[in-house]
Amino acid sequence: MDYNVVHRWTFDNYHYFFSVPTYMRTVWATLWVSFVATAITILMAFPLAYWLVRYVRKSLQGVFLVLVILPFWTSYLLRVYSWINILGDQGAINRFLQWTHITHAPVSFFLYDRPAVILVLVYLYFPFAALTLYASLERFDWNQFKAALDLGASPPTAVTRIMIPQMKAGIVTAVIFVFIPVLGEYLTPQLVGGTQGVMIGNLIVNFFTGAQYTRGAAAALLIAALIVVLLVIFRRSLEVEDPTRA
Amino acid sequence: MRDVEVVSRHAGLSRAMFSTWAVVVYVFLFAPILLLIAFSFNANKYGTFPFTGWTLHWYGQVYGDYQIRDALSTTLKVAFQVTIISTIVGTAAAFPLVRSRLPFRSGVRIGMTLPIMIPGLLIGVSLLVLLTDVFHIPLSPQTAVIGQAVYTTPFVLLLVAARLQGFDPSLERAASDLGANTYRRLRHVVFPLIAPAVFAGALFAFTLSLDEFIITLFLIGAHNTLPIYIYTQVKFGITPEVNALASLLLLASLILLAFAFTLPLVARRASLAVRRRRVA
Repeated sequence: MDYNVVHRWTFDNYHYFFSVPTYMRTVWATLWVSFVATAITILMAFPLAYWLVRYVRKSLQGVFLVLVILPFWTSYLLRVYSWINILGDQGAINRFLQWTHITHAPVSFFLYDRPAVILVLVYLYFPFAALTLYASLERFDWNQFKAALDLGASPPTAVTRIMIPQMKAGIVTAVIFVFIPVLGEYLTPQLVGGTQGVMIGNLIVNFFTGAQYTRGAAAALLIAALIVVLLVIFRRSLEVEDPTRA
Repeated sequence: MRDVEVVSRHAGLSRAMFSTWAVVVYVFLFAPILLLIAFSFNANKYGTFPFTGWTLHWYGQVYGDYQIRDALSTTLKVAFQVTIISTIVGTAAAFPLVRSRLPFRSGVRIGMTLPIMIPGLLIGVSLLVLLTDVFHIPLSPQTAVIGQAVYTTPFVLLLVAARLQGFDPSLERAASDLGANTYRRLRHVVFPLIAPAVFAGALFAFTLSLDEFIITLFLIGAHNTLPIYIYTQVKFGITPEVNALASLLLLASLILLAFAFTLPLVARRASLAVRRRRVA
């Protein structure tokens, strides 16, 4: 069997992709990892945005915001790499555990598994979420919050009933900005994921490096199609953030 | 927001909780990077804990490594070409996007900025197939330039478009009234006004190109850029030399970005100063 591309229209490549249980498991794993990473990112970013807007002086907010984005503007590869320094067999955590004699051999639990992938993904995409949520919270009218408290609501109730419904567009944008790039991740699972953390991105690369171009193309188009569908569905709320629309 | 604090009963407690959370987040964001930089000065030859003393030895090794020099020169060559291509294409594309009455303009806008949203992996593999399988072009730094430009051009486009949007069209009309032709309007009115955004976009494209990994991995063939070199080293584990190289790369991109962000501000201040002088 040779792997030259046969120029004939067919759905066989998609059929093949869907018929292999391992691939389907990877698809579900990818969606699950993307979902969990997005949820954690948003849940971490919201209190930070809230803290910034409510407790930090206006003149200092910009500085703290730049500090959030700063890591994002450094090299993507290096940010993943910096975690190997911490999580790896020879990394900071293992060294610390051995130094304090809690363990004697390196523990691989911290690396080469799905939780490590999720941790690093949250780290990579946190600035996106924090920035979008801040932008949305900054426009919030705090008089409404005060009114809710005056009428006897507790602050958590005021947040969930008054604030969050008005931030819907911002939250959707944050979700999209995290979820979509995570879907196509290749490097993070490759470097910290081991065999358990494999995502669609790694599958696609394996197809292409194995010269199975047509099958790789089918898998790639599946992600691309999913992304375009998500973008079209949420286009309305995304347009708010479009800088070409002043 | 002080009056919110008065009505809320546990104001002090919630303030403390949120502030603690903020500290946790900032530690989470900066610890990995700071640790990486600290390890690059660590004498320990495994590049991790424990600290066995400060040294600049690894930086010396980076400086003397011919593979790294080779990768650096490829990285810079690619970055310059990417910057030139994406600045010209991005700036030119911003005009119709903002000014013309294109049919399906919002669709065109999404299409033009899609490479920012599409994962780099997909750009990489699709260009790999297109270039090698359809056009039969052998992989080289030039193919990597094409791939990176696809990704960096939309950033230039968005920056320039934002600037064009906030640009008073009556200025150009005034120039036409005074007899300026298209070239002179562009040269003396439009370009000076959008120049800060164009330069910021160029610096942006340059920085993105320096750090770009995934598209380059597929398209560069047998050559190395610095990120690709680091990647091949990381596969064999952490080395202090890579830590040092990584720290230098981090520093370089931070400096370039500081320029990209402050440039429009500086330019505005300078042009204000010039204008004031002319008035005086």
